[in-house]
Amino acid sequence: MSFTGEGVAAGVPDDQRRETQRDLRRDLGLALWQIRYEQRAYWRNRQRGIFTFIFPLMFLVIFGSIYSGQSIPLGHHRTMSYETFFVPGILAYGVITTTYVNMAIGTALLRDDGVLKRMQGTPLPRWVYVLARIGSTVVTVLIMTVLTVGFGVVAYGVQVRGTTLPAVAVFLLLGTAAFTTLGIGITRFIKNGEAAPVIANLTLLPLTFISGIYFHGNLSQGLLTIADIFPVRPLADGLQHAFNPITGGSGFVGSDLLRLAIWTVVGCWLMLLMLRKPEGDRR
Amino acid sequence: MSISAISVTDLRKAYGETEAVRGVSFEVAQGDVFCLLGPNGAGKTSIVEILEGYRTRTAGAVSVLGHDPASAPRALRERVGIVLQECGVQHDLTVTELVDMYGRYYRRSRPTQEVIELVELTEKRDTRAKDLSGGQRRRLDLALALVGDPDLIFLDEPTTGFDPAARRHAWSTVQSLCDLGKTVFLTTHYMDEAQALADQVAIVNAGQIIASGRPHELGGRDARPAEIRFLLPPGVTLGELPEIPTQRCEQSDDHVLLVTAEPVLAANRLTGWALEHGHELEGLSIAQPSLEDIYLELTAATAVEPST
Repeated sequence: MSFTGEGVAAGVPDDQRRETQRDLRRDLGLALWQIRYEQRAYWRNRQRGIFTFIFPLMFLVIFGSIYSGQSIPLGHHRTMSYETFFVPGILAYGVITTTYVNMAIGTALLRDDGVLKRMQGTPLPRWVYVLARIGSTVVTVLIMTVLTVGFGVVAYGVQVRGTTLPAVAVFLLLGTAAFTTLGIGITRFIKNGEAAPVIANLTLLPLTFISGIYFHGNLSQGLLTIADIFPVRPLADGLQHAFNPITGGSGFVGSDLLRLAIWTVVGCWLMLLMLRKPEGDRR
Repeated sequence: MSISAISVTDLRKAYGETEAVRGVSFEVAQGDVFCLLGPNGAGKTSIVEILEGYRTRTAGAVSVLGHDPASAPRALRERVGIVLQECGVQHDLTVTELVDMYGRYYRRSRPTQEVIELVELTEKRDTRAKDLSGGQRRRLDLALALVGDPDLIFLDEPTTGFDPAARRHAWSTVQSLCDLGKTVFLTTHYMDEAQALADQVAIVNAGQIIASGRPHELGGRDARPAEIRFLLPPGVTLGELPEIPTQRCEQSDDHVLLVTAEPVLAANRLTGWALEHGHELEGLSIAQPSLEDIYLELTAATAVEPST
């Protein structure tokens, strides 16, 4: 059997490409495999579940009882209930704890325990492992979103509108991307697992107070200017707009989107810095 | 002539100003158990972690199964199993789940239940990692290192903290790995462990290899004079002993130590004399210096000089 020169020349890159594709498919399969185990491990840890799910729901109940019956004037003789304002704010808070806080604490603990080192010794590519942990976080965010919004709809009559649903989805997606990568990236500045909750919350809690998540309208312009630099406010503001009944059209706030996108880039950069160093040389 | 699984030439590792590894060279033959011995801070961990791909080297050439571990190629990690000291797992998962999960990372993994049986964790297979005892955790470590059916296994102080029975058990596991044709790279500070398991031993101190060879010939151990010990029979003095070729003779209370280059002749004379006079020689023993003696001698001779 003989091949013409052309046939052989064309055949080699084709084979290579097929092999690369096969490897990529196997790696993506591995990522899905890993997501299953990440999720399983996640739900077996009760404390984490409480932070992720009980806190947002608890906030909803507390704020709901404090502001029960109050409404916010929107101009043109229209008002919206306080609940319609703070449900998307608490949703933003939930997204951030599920992604940023969980990732920062989780990664610091995995590093402390030596799990990251162990993973590095296996053939599982690092990017697959990171992708799987991010993927698992996305699953958790989805569940948290359904619970929080579901509670808002059932208990407070918050409306989810079809026209602004794409905006809600995009903000959730971009918020998850920004805060997940920031959470992984910040572990570079966290010495150990004990310091992780402190640093994660210290960087987050003040921002939630000045970003208009809990209170409407009584923040000074100075504080809002500071909040505008950081990614908490764009996520909260974007979601609040999408849930606001007088928002027309698709409900996208361009400036919020842009800021979240920039923070996603920053997060990715920090994450890559953190991931580049080999585990053994780090100590 | 055997093929090298690991080949190291003039390896150096510096942390800032301090040089932790100062020009180390050795070969590990395929199918051998190679044991790196040394006191804490001698540079053992630096050397092992460079071979495992966890640390970068400052200078020198390193080849592990034909690959440079510094670039940690996936093809290499497919064939290497690593048991690290105190290295955690995702502790909310069970033994079966963990072996399953890690096994999937390797292209040629061994069946989960088979691996769990091999390390004798079958009864604990549905237990979460965090609920295992220390010894069981170590066996899980071994299972996760073996699930990819590696050609080369790194064991970093695998029996630290084990009780004597568990250590013997771990040794037989290592021996069974050799029977399967695996190459084992072992670090330990237990002499008897090196003695029992290793085909080749290298003693490292202050970043350098100060002795290497087969355990029985290390430091010229096989050519060393033998030591004969016994208790002097009651009422007998050292002067009453027959003519025995010795290099050295020590006595403290009833304990006598004879150091001799001719142990057969010496023992013959001694026991002949004892029989003739109807004496018992309690505690009689003839031994070469132990690996531990050699080790202490060698590491003391090259005690770390404070680096200036």
